[in-house]
Amino acid sequence: MDKKSDVWQGTLALMVLRTLETIGPLHGYGIARRIEQTSGGQLLVNYGTLYPALLKLEQEGYVTSEWGTSDNNRKAKYYRLTRAGRKQVEKEARQWEQTTAIMARFLSPGEERR
Amino acid sequence: MKRIRALLRRVAGLLQKERRDRDLADEIESHLQLHTEDNLRAGMSPEEARRHALLKFGGIESTKEAYRDRRGLPLLESLVQDLRYALRMLRRNPGFAAVAILSLAIGIGANTAIFSLVNAVLLRPLAYKEPQGLFAVREVVPQISGQRSVPANPLHAREWAKHCPSLEQVALMRWASANIAAGGEPAIVPGLQVPHNLFTLFGVEPLWGRTFLPEEEKAGNDRVVVLSESIWRSRFNADRSLVGKSIFLNGQNHQVLGIIPAWFQPPYSGGMEVAVPNVRIEIFLPLVIGQGQFRPMGNFNYGAVIRLKRGATVEQALAEINVVQARFPPQAGVRLDLKATLIPIHEFLVGRSRLGLWMLAAAVGVVLLIVCINLANLLLSRSASRGREAAIRAALGATRGRQFRQALTENLLLAFSGGVLGLLVASWLLTILVATTTLDIPRLDEVRLDSSVLAFSFCLTVLTGLLFGALPAWRLTCGDPQEALRAGSHTVTEGRRGPRLRSALIGLEVGLSAALLIVAGLLTSSFSRLLHVEKGFDIQHVLTVDVGLSGTLYSEPATRERFFDRVLAKVSAIPDVQAFGLVTQLPTRGETWIDPIALEGDTRPPLERPMVNNRYISPGYFRAMNTTVRYGRAFEERDRGSGVAILSEKAAKLLWPAEPNPVGRSYIGEDDKVKTLVGVVADVRASLHNDPPPTAYYPYWQRVPFGVALVVRTSVDPRAAAGALRAALRSEDAQLPIPVIRTMEEVLERSVAQRKFQLTLVVVFAASALLVACLGIYGVVSYAVARRRNEIGIRMMLGAQRSQLLRLVIRQGMVPVVFGLAAGIAAALVLGRAIRGLLFEVQPTDPLTIAGVAVVLLGVGFLACLIPAGRAAATDAVAALRLE
Repeated sequence: MDKKSDVWQGTLALMVLRTLETIGPLHGYGIARRIEQTSGGQLLVNYGTLYPALLKLEQEGYVTSEWGTSDNNRKAKYYRLTRAGRKQVEKEARQWEQTTAIMARFLSPGEERR
Repeated sequence: MKRIRALLRRVAGLLQKERRDRDLADEIESHLQLHTEDNLRAGMSPEEARRHALLKFGGIESTKEAYRDRRGLPLLESLVQDLRYALRMLRRNPGFAAVAILSLAIGIGANTAIFSLVNAVLLRPLAYKEPQGLFAVREVVPQISGQRSVPANPLHAREWAKHCPSLEQVALMRWASANIAAGGEPAIVPGLQVPHNLFTLFGVEPLWGRTFLPEEEKAGNDRVVVLSESIWRSRFNADRSLVGKSIFLNGQNHQVLGIIPAWFQPPYSGGMEVAVPNVRIEIFLPLVIGQGQFRPMGNFNYGAVIRLKRGATVEQALAEINVVQARFPPQAGVRLDLKATLIPIHEFLVGRSRLGLWMLAAAVGVVLLIVCINLANLLLSRSASRGREAAIRAALGATRGRQFRQALTENLLLAFSGGVLGLLVASWLLTILVATTTLDIPRLDEVRLDSSVLAFSFCLTVLTGLLFGALPAWRLTCGDPQEALRAGSHTVTEGRRGPRLRSALIGLEVGLSAALLIVAGLLTSSFSRLLHVEKGFDIQHVLTVDVGLSGTLYSEPATRERFFDRVLAKVSAIPDVQAFGLVTQLPTRGETWIDPIALEGDTRPPLERPMVNNRYISPGYFRAMNTTVRYGRAFEERDRGSGVAILSEKAAKLLWPAEPNPVGRSYIGEDDKVKTLVGVVADVRASLHNDPPPTAYYPYWQRVPFGVALVVRTSVDPRAAAGALRAALRSEDAQLPIPVIRTMEEVLERSVAQRKFQLTLVVVFAASALLVACLGIYGVVSYAVARRRNEIGIRMMLGAQRSQLLRLVIRQGMVPVVFGLAAGIAAALVLGRAIRGLLFEVQPTDPLTIAGVAVVLLGVGFLACLIPAGRAAATDAVAALRLE
C-alpha cells in the first residue's frame, strides 16, 4: 500500500507543480479540482492525499504558501511556484516524456505481434 | 542540498506543534468550505454538499496523521516517546533496573579498564620514529644457551654495522645505574650507557641542549650526561640553566649536555631473559667500550637495537647478520654455531605481557557475556509476563517493528545507563591499578582513558545492549496476540519454547563460568606451586638491601673490601641479628655472570666447557639464607688468602658426575685460577619459575664486587632491624645512596607480582561469573516454580509427595547446569593449551582442578535450585488452585 502511494505521489507532485505553473497561485482545493478536470475525470482520488504532497513540495523549496482570500471571500492557503519549482517542472516533465516515450516503444511492437 | 533543506524543515517541524496543527485544521476546513460552496452551486442540498465534500476529501484524521508524519521526523518522535516509556518502565521496576544497570556498569567498566591496559601496552603504536623498522638483536649459541638467546657482543655489533647493507644503524646499550648526589638525597638512578647514534636511531630530539658526539665515546671525554625529562623535573625542578652545568655522578663531575623528553624509554634488556623490565631510565651516559672488550666470543653483555634501511626486509637483514656471525667462532678457535635473532621492537617490549593481557581481556569479556546472558534471561522471563501488554498493544494497532523498536529502546537505555556508569567504574579501577601496581609491564605509564578507549566502550555498550536486548525484544513481539490474550492468565503453563530457550541460556552461562573457573583454578594452583617450590633458600625473617659502591673513592678493590668488612662487622652488632651476609646477585633476580669452569687439564676451548652462574659471597651468606650445605663447609675467615670455592650440587655434578662428595678436589674458576672445593650446597633458584642454574660461589675478597645485596636474618620481625641497618651503612659512608630496605618476602612478592595480579583479576572475574550464573539459575528456577504454581497444586492434589516435587524441580533446574558444565569443561580442555605459558608445573588438563570446579559448580547450582524447589514443595495445594 505504501509503495503505490509513493508512485502516485511522484506523479502527483508533477501534476501539482504543472498546475501551479499554468494557473499561478492557487489553494489546495483549487489544485485538486484542476487536476481532476485536466485528467478528464479519469483520476479519482481523495483530495486529502494532496496535503502531505504539498507539504513535501514546500519542504523541498518548490512551492511557498501563504494565507489569502479566495474569489468568494473565503480564507484559504495559497500555494505559489518558486524559481526552483519552475526548474523542477521542466526537469521532471522532460524525464516523464522520456520515460513515456521509452515505455511506448516497448509496448507498441508487442501489440503489433499480437 | 534539497534533502538537507527538507531535513532541516522537518526538524523545525518538530517545534510549535500546536500552531502547526491548528494551521492544518484551518486549511482543511477552508478546503471543505470551498468544496461545499461549489457543491451548493451545483445544486446540492446543504447537508449533501457538506457530506459530499467530506467524502471526497477522504479520512480527515488519516490525512492529518500522514501530514504530521511528513511534517516532523516520525522516527525521532517515536524514539523520544519510546525513551519516555522506557524510563517509566524502569522507574516502575527500580530493583530490576538497579541490578541490571549495576551489573552492566561493572561488566562494561571492567572491560573498559582491561581494554585500556591492552590498548596502552599492546595496541597503541610505539612513540619511536617508524617503529616497524626497529629490531632488537639477540645472539644464539645453541651449544651454550640452548634455545635461549643471549645479549649482544660489542665486536659482533660493530661488524654488523660495517658489513650488512640492509642495516641503517646499529646501537648498543649497557646497564649503568648511577649514584647521584646532586639535587636531593643520594640515590641510585637507573641509567644506560649509549652510543651517540642511539637518539637518532629512535628519532628522539632533546628538549634542551644536545645529545652525545662521537668523540665523547672515548675514555677521558666521557664525563658528560644526558638527563631524562622526568629526573630533570623531579630532582632539578625543570631548571633550564642546568644544561651546560656539571653535576656529581658516581663520585665524579659530569657535564649535563641535554634533556631527553620523558616519553623516550629505550627498550633495554641485557639479561638472559628476553624481557624489558619496567624501569624508567633516567640517565644516559656515553658508551665507552675499551679495546679489550672486543673479543670474538664472550662478553655477551649488551642490549642491541638496529634500524633497517627503507625497503630492506627482516629476512635479508638476518641473513646478512648471520653471514657475519659465522666468522667469529673460527676467529676464537671454537667449533660453535653462532647465529642471531631479530625481534620486532614492539614484540621485544611487550611480547612477554601479551598472553597474560589477552587472557585477562578474554576473561573479563566472558564475564560481560555472562552478565548479558543473565540479563537476557531476566528480560525473557519478564517478557513472558509482559506478553499480555504486548498483545494489547498489537491489538490496538502497534506494528511488530514498532513494538520491537520500543522494547529494544528500553533495553538499550539499560545498556547506556550501564555504559556511562561503567566509564566511572573504569576510571576508578585504572586509578587504583596505576597507583598500587608493582607490575613489570612496560608502557604501563601510558595507560589512560583516551578516545580509542571511549570508542571501544561505546561500541561495547551498543553490542551489549543488542546482545541481551534483541532476543527478548523479538520474543516479546513475535507472539500471537490472540494466543497471548487468552493464555495471559497465570492459570496456564507456559508454552514450550520459552523455558527451553531460558534453559539453553543457563547452560551457556554455566559453561562459560566453568571455563573461567577452570582457568582461575589452574592459575591458582600454578601460583601456589610457584610460591612453595623448593627454592634452596628460606625467606622468613630476612631483610635485604642493595649496596652500590662507585666513584674514585672506591676504585681500589682493597677499599671496597675494607668497606664490606666493616659494614659486616657493624651488622653483626645489631641486636637480634642471627646471621648476615652479602651476595653479588640476590636469588629471584635472575641468572647473570655466566662463565665456564673446568677441571685442570681440560683442553676444550672455554666456550665448550660447562657454564655456571658465579656469585661472590661472605662467609655468613648461606646461614643468612638458610641454604643447606650438603658436604664440607661454608667459607670462613681463615679462607682469606687461599683460593677456595663452593659449588651447587648441579655445578659439582657437571665437573664430577660420578663423585657424590667431591669436597677437597680442585678446578679452574671463572678467574682462570685454581680453586679448592671446600663445600657443596643445595641448588638455589635464580628466578622462581626456572630450574636452579648450576652455580659457583667464591668469597667476596677474591674479586671484590662494586654492588652487592646485604642479607640479614633476625630472630624477630626483620623490619625492626631496618633502621639499624641503614645507620650501619650511613656511618661508613654518609654519601652512600641507600635504596628501600625490603624483607626477602617482599622481594619474592615483587618477583611474582605480575602473576599475582593476573591471578587476582581472573579469580575475581571467575567468582563474579559464578555468582552471576548462580543468580541466573536461581532466577530461572524460581520463575518456573512461580509460573507452575498451578500445575504443582494439581500434582499435589493428585497425590504427588513433597519429596517428589522437590526432585522434579531440582532435576529440571540441574539439567542445563550439567550440560553447561560438560560443555565448559570441554571448552577449557581445548582452550587450556592457549594459556600453557602462564602456568607453572600444572598441566592445562589438570584433573584435580577440573574435578574441583565441577564439584563447586554442581554444588552451587544445586543450592540455587534447592531454594525455589523447597518453595515448590511447600506449596499449599488448595491455595494454589484457589488462585485461579
